[in-house]
Amino acid sequence: MALNAPKTFELIIPSRLEALESVQRLVTEAALEYKLSEDFAYWMELSISESMINAIRHGNRCDPSKNAHLRISLNGSELEIIVEDQGTGFNLDSLADPTETQNLLKPSGRGILIIRSFMDEVNLSVSEGGGSRLRMVKRLPESAR
Amino acid sequence: MSVTVKIRRLDDVVIIDLSGRITIGDGTLTIRDTFQELVRAGNSKFLVNLAGVDYIDSSGLGELVTFFTLVRKEADGQVKLLNLTRRVRDLLQITKLLTVFESFDNETEALKSMRN
Repeated sequence: MALNAPKTFELIIPSRLEALESVQRLVTEAALEYKLSEDFAYWMELSISESMINAIRHGNRCDPSKNAHLRISLNGSELEIIVEDQGTGFNLDSLADPTETQNLLKPSGRGILIIRSFMDEVNLSVSEGGGSRLRMVKRLPESAR
Repeated sequence: MSVTVKIRRLDDVVIIDLSGRITIGDGTLTIRDTFQELVRAGNSKFLVNLAGVDYIDSSGLGELVTFFTLVRKEADGQVKLLNLTRRVRDLLQITKLLTVFESFDNETEALKSMRN
């Protein structure tokens, strides 16, 4: 009997912040399917939400005619998350470090830091449509399940 | 569940009990309105109780920072944090905001620190 491959979760939402509720629901569903611990699911949701907010606000400039695309899959013990937007792209290296003294009191700019603190790999490239494609990988520790 | 806000006062300190999820959109707008109204009303000492906050995103952190700078600038006052959950503490550690905010696990101790 062939083993079923773990389910892949996908979502396409318009660039409106209200649509983020569906991201939360999808991540909860994926965490249940993959039998992830509550703590792991919390950090996964936070990282994915931050990346979707970036896609909507900074990628698509909150243009509701543009979409943000999320894909969550599990390959063995490796969780892969891909977020794509339809914007004009941005450079991760050009972002200011929010932990520098002069940036500590800025109201924004902490999303990528949070993502990087949880994920094992964070790579930005250009998507087929010309927007940004953020690929994040998290290797599941024993405590994650 | 979105964020819930309750306001208490002890002498000249305003204690803001937050619970639920503080996320971009309704959650951050709710706390921003609350913070701004309290400062406009002439208050200057604030203790933000995060005991019931089970989720806060970078926008929620941004609102706390904006509140901190507003209170310092407009009221020459202070904002301190109370009862951080482990996850919120971890987030404040990662973002180095623990170097900005003084935080307490005990309300009495926090209030004592705010007396002149």
